[in-house]
Amino acid sequence: MEFSSPQFWTALMQIIGVNIVLSGDNAVVIALAARSLPPEQQKKAVLYGSLAAIIMRVILTIVAAKMLALPWLKIIGSVLLLWIGIKLIVPEHAGEHGEGGGTSTAMAAIRTILIADLVMSLDNVIAVAAAAKDNITLLILGLAISIPLIIFGSTLILRLMDRFPVIITIGGALLGYVAGEMAVGDSAISGWINDNAHWLHHAAPVAGALTVIAVGKWLASSASARVSQGGVEAVIDLDAQTRR
Amino acid sequence: MRILVPVDGSDNALRALEYAISTAGLYRDPIEIHLLNVQRPVVSGNVRSFISQEQLHSYYEDEGTAALKAARERIDGSGIAHSAHVAIGEEPASISQYSTQHDCKLIVMGTRGMGNIANLLLGSVATKVVHLAPVPVVLIK
Repeated sequence: MEFSSPQFWTALMQIIGVNIVLSGDNAVVIALAARSLPPEQQKKAVLYGSLAAIIMRVILTIVAAKMLALPWLKIIGSVLLLWIGIKLIVPEHAGEHGEGGGTSTAMAAIRTILIADLVMSLDNVIAVAAAAKDNITLLILGLAISIPLIIFGSTLILRLMDRFPVIITIGGALLGYVAGEMAVGDSAISGWINDNAHWLHHAAPVAGALTVIAVGKWLASSASARVSQGGVEAVIDLDAQTRR
Repeated sequence: MRILVPVDGSDNALRALEYAISTAGLYRDPIEIHLLNVQRPVVSGNVRSFISQEQLHSYYEDEGTAALKAARERIDGSGIAHSAHVAIGEEPASISQYSTQHDCKLIVMGTRGMGNIANLLLGSVATKVVHLAPVPVVLIK
């Protein structure tokens, strides 16, 4: 792939897209997890949390670049990627808050930040590796694009996704699409596909995108049937706490 | 006479509050001003799975308290009965629902609270409140 080729720019667009939907909230998670710390430790937690996210991403990108050449790993990666796409579309609802119950101590906050960094980096690197299609330049560009998102990411991206949920649907479809592209490129089956079923190069990405949207929407509809509050989650009375 | 003044921390919201205070003499009954700040919930799956509900709520409360600070300072010295709340939800729905639940007879709010670009992207809250709310809405430019 050359800089001048349309494939390069298509892949770059895909990489920017997956970075925004998968990394746009990393900074927010770090900042929120750090909030329960004393103010003087918060800045440190955010700094080291962001550094850890960047280091994890660099290491995972190197590992991904080496591993995806091995047979079957692209197929495994594409299945993971389909799942990441579905996870993106299905909203986690208020009752299902997982970890991080007691991040009042520095250790607990650091643990939350590191686990979140690892999960989000893994998602991001798999998706970027799939979109980069064995091109090391693109892989490194993908890494570079995600770093400012980790450092400067804010709730603005989240608010935009909240206001325009179609961004999330498109993001999920994009992940499914690159998952399909990656699966047919697996060295264990690509030879056979090129000889016998070349049409899969076009069908698999589309099938991946449709799978993510269909499964995601189906799971989302059964999840939202259980929670519905008309857009208002809670009301906090400030006078109750401050006046008396 | 209860008046709801939604506050987002902008100068426009303070102007709306100023107007609401200045109308106090127009009503036969003493007025009561309800200040309401609305925090949109963070919907990202990653945030929700790594950050606990309590942490998120204390974050909303801090953000809301900061946004309401100037408005509360202004009204504290006015002698008008008042209260301050932070709602978590979508702005138009939260404002409209609050006015119903607390029996507010009027909503006074600023338009174009947080800048033109954000408005262009996110749409005007005031416009949606006008459509949703069951009571009259006074918009202050």
